Amino acid sequence: MKRTVLLVALTVVTLVASACGRGDETGGGAREGTEVESGKASGEITVWAMGTEGEKLSVLAEDFMEENPDATVTVTPVPWDGAHSKLATAIAGRQTPDVTMLGTTWVGEFAKTGALDVVPPDLVAEDDFFPGAWETGVVDGTSYSVPWYVETRLLFVNKAVAEKAGVTEPPTTWDGLKQAVRDLRERGGARWGTYLQPGQMGAWQTFMPFVWQNGGEIHDGERFRLDSPEVAEAVAYYQSFYDEGLSTRNRLREGEAEPKFISGEIASFVSGPWHIGLLDELGGKGEYEVWPMPSGSGEYTSFIGGSNLSVFENAKNRDGAWKFVSYLTRPEVQVKWYQTVNDLPSVAAAWDDPVLAGDPLLATFGDQLGVAKAPPPIPTWEQIAAGVDTELEKVAKGTTSPEDAAKAMQAHATSIGTGG
Amino acid sequence: MPARSGTLARAVTGWAFALPFAALFLVFTAGPVVASLAMSVTDIRSADLLDPLGVNVVAFDNYARLFADPKFVQAAVNTAVFVVVGVPLTMALALLVALGLNSGLVRFRTLFRVGYYLPVVTSIVAISVVWRFLLQPDSGLFNELLGLVGIDGPSWLDDRPFALPTLIVMAAWRNLGFAMVIFLAGLQAIPKDLYEAATIDGARTLARLRYLTVPMLRPTMLFVAVITTIGYVQFFEEPFVMTQGGPLDSTLSLAYHTYNQFGFGNYGYASAMGYVLFVVVVLLSIAWFRLLRNTHEQ
Amino acid sequence: MSSDRIRSRDVVARVVLHVLLGLGLVAMVGPFVWMLLSSFKGEGEIRRVPMTWLPEDVTFANYGDLFERLDFPTYFTNSAVVAVVTTVGNLLFCSAAGYALAKLPFPGKRVLFGMVLGTIMVPSIVTIVPLFVLSSNLGLVNTLAGLILPFLAQAFGVFLMRQFIFSIPNDLLEAARIDGASELRIYWQVVLPLCKPALATLGILTFLASWNNFLWPLVAASTEDKYTLPVALALYAIGQNRTDYDLLLAGSVVVVLPVLVVFVLLQRHFVRGIATTGLK
Repeated sequence: MKRTVLLVALTVVTLVASACGRGDETGGGAREGTEVESGKASGEITVWAMGTEGEKLSVLAEDFMEENPDATVTVTPVPWDGAHSKLATAIAGRQTPDVTMLGTTWVGEFAKTGALDVVPPDLVAEDDFFPGAWETGVVDGTSYSVPWYVETRLLFVNKAVAEKAGVTEPPTTWDGLKQAVRDLRERGGARWGTYLQPGQMGAWQTFMPFVWQNGGEIHDGERFRLDSPEVAEAVAYYQSFYDEGLSTRNRLREGEAEPKFISGEIASFVSGPWHIGLLDELGGKGEYEVWPMPSGSGEYTSFIGGSNLSVFENAKNRDGAWKFVSYLTRPEVQVKWYQTVNDLPSVAAAWDDPVLAGDPLLATFGDQLGVAKAPPPIPTWEQIAAGVDTELEKVAKGTTSPEDAAKAMQAHATSIGTGG
Repeated sequence: MPARSGTLARAVTGWAFALPFAALFLVFTAGPVVASLAMSVTDIRSADLLDPLGVNVVAFDNYARLFADPKFVQAAVNTAVFVVVGVPLTMALALLVALGLNSGLVRFRTLFRVGYYLPVVTSIVAISVVWRFLLQPDSGLFNELLGLVGIDGPSWLDDRPFALPTLIVMAAWRNLGFAMVIFLAGLQAIPKDLYEAATIDGARTLARLRYLTVPMLRPTMLFVAVITTIGYVQFFEEPFVMTQGGPLDSTLSLAYHTYNQFGFGNYGYASAMGYVLFVVVVLLSIAWFRLLRNTHEQ
Repeated sequence: MSSDRIRSRDVVARVVLHVLLGLGLVAMVGPFVWMLLSSFKGEGEIRRVPMTWLPEDVTFANYGDLFERLDFPTYFTNSAVVAVVTTVGNLLFCSAAGYALAKLPFPGKRVLFGMVLGTIMVPSIVTIVPLFVLSSNLGLVNTLAGLILPFLAQAFGVFLMRQFIFSIPNDLLEAARIDGASELRIYWQVVLPLCKPALATLGILTFLASWNNFLWPLVAASTEDKYTLPVALALYAIGQNRTDYDLLLAGSVVVVLPVLVVFVLLQRHFVRGIATTGLK
């Protein structure tokens, strides 16, 4: 009986197979977007946005509709959990909205499907945005999405421990950082001087800045460069924090790090701006400070993330969609958005507003954002990054050497390719 | 002639009963399954979503690549251990609880039934939070208890030898209520007079269990065994919320690896992995059918 | 068995059994109790290490938040409609098909059963893209029908019903046939009553699976008014970089209540098997 089923299935497969086949790939090269007609927006504009952004976007949508009385913006909030699958299936079933929010590392993958519209040249200006953020939307020289909000990673430091350890100035070099963390532990009395994520999901976001700080890169346009000496040195530096007992080799699970940080058991950790709200809620307000990342022998930089906005090529209301996107990137709207959900503006001019400029914690983030970098938007990046995470776990547990880890990252990345 | 029309009538009756199900099933279940089987022999990726037929047929390349993928091999080993230890453990515990509750000796049976079923309905997130607290190396309940007898407990979720066994225990805990419910239903279906007859014959408890309950429970056991095996081969939620596959992939399961590959947009490859899982379940189910075959089946 | 005399061996067995099952019970309900208690705590207290059981400051704010921020009636109605229709459909279609597969001879029976078994074993994640494309072509995206139809007749249920109906003695059905009962009548008046425990089981399991289903309802709904409770809860409680445990735990308690009610209502039927249907 099972044999019959199998036979039927195989026949169907063969029939389908004969209809398949890749056509000649159309040549790459940068594409220019089509211009958007001038005037006010009209008609229905459907928007998908994830999480809190989706929940609160209607606040901005209402302002927009006041300005464009003929337009209706319908926002569908999408849970982060499953958002990627929802977008992928929607593209396959041609059920996409006009506008969607995209995680910065998703742009490459979805741009490759051909579902995203090219950013029109007349509505948004590249120069308005943090350069690292703008790059996340550019695939093979073509812009497919516009940065909406950004985040970067800094070192959160427990004030009391730092004072006790006599560490008053943020270190600016790798050696300085190592010494500061050592002091936090030995003189500040912390169980752990810092917490660097020991591998597993997303650890690359903590690790990659060290590569860039050391002059390394992920891909040089021709091939991956993860086996370079710069990468191996960054791995060795990362590993030394575990080997010297400065960071735990065990991964802290969600919610574990914050109480330990506030109590001073963990003196510092690398994270993004969302930890401000989280720590404040747990009673840590005013008990910590943020330090910029140090520089190695290469550039002074950190990781930049956040979310972008894209319009689908088959959008029913393309012009209205782009007008709404353009509205969301106006400096004053970006400031209002920060006040609504604490998302940091991707538009540099918004940072001149006293709401942001007046906050010392935020100012540090703002400075770092100007120089922060993102991985290249290659469609296969998430998978390549998973390989980096795997090696970082081995590095943290001490089961591999920095050179072998770098080689393994390179081999993994090369075997996957850029999907181009 | 009458015989033939009888056969025809019975065939029509049979199909009439099966048809509503069969129609929905063919469209909404079998259809997508066949399509995904087709995907597994192509190089389809998320970049091809708009043009799913514009892909190359690569025959069994995806399947061949699987066995060269060290994560796949590791995940296969982990899943095998999980199934081989987890399924009997869960079934044995569930059967013991069901027999206890069914023995007629226990009061507050509703309370017990509901209580043992609670882990099945409790949100996996709440479960993961509590289990993580209990498993904490320095302040968790388990290690404090071990400390009482002078044992220095491990870091359950971060030490390689302990992570998978911990998740097996957790899965058994979480799923035994499900199996218990089915066992209870099966036990109720055994006619009471058979027990009365056996008692009159002087059969002791253990003998009754062995010669009466277990044989009568075979169709139920087969069902529970197959369903639990299917569930466990697709072991996913526990590592997803507790360990994310770590430490060092020691709790990465096949279903988790498939999920990751699907997330990476490698649809062809992920589907191929799904069908390897499928073949494994088919083989295990055949084994269960052989082992627990009902006498009047076949 | 001499009915009223309680033998000492029985007493010992009773005590041991109660102690063992009681200990097991504590281990089983612990996390649920923690979830319930913690839903009355603030975020800080929930995340405290080491964990606490009883709330220090009892707060109802989590529930207030839940009902205020979420359009609760809409999500609850969607979830309820989807779960109830899916459950009723499965009870009906799966028991009918299960009866046919267990007791009626018809051509293609083995192939059908093989396909049923086969498809249970395919991980659902690999079929989600084709299923969505299919639903899109049938115009089912963003409709409640689209949330229901793919799960209205599940292979799992047929497998369960077939296994149970198998154990019904053939003599019983033959006797009814000789009495001139039609197959429909036999199914409705003989088979279904005998299957009550199995139907209760299937009802509980289907309801639970449908009620908790996450990925498909998320993918198949394109506007918020078609979201189900788990989708809405994930939306509001699980962020990109953080989880709001206060909202999540309160939400989980509310989500689990209907399932518990269904379970408590249906579990009575486990004990009303053949013994109480008058069949000897």
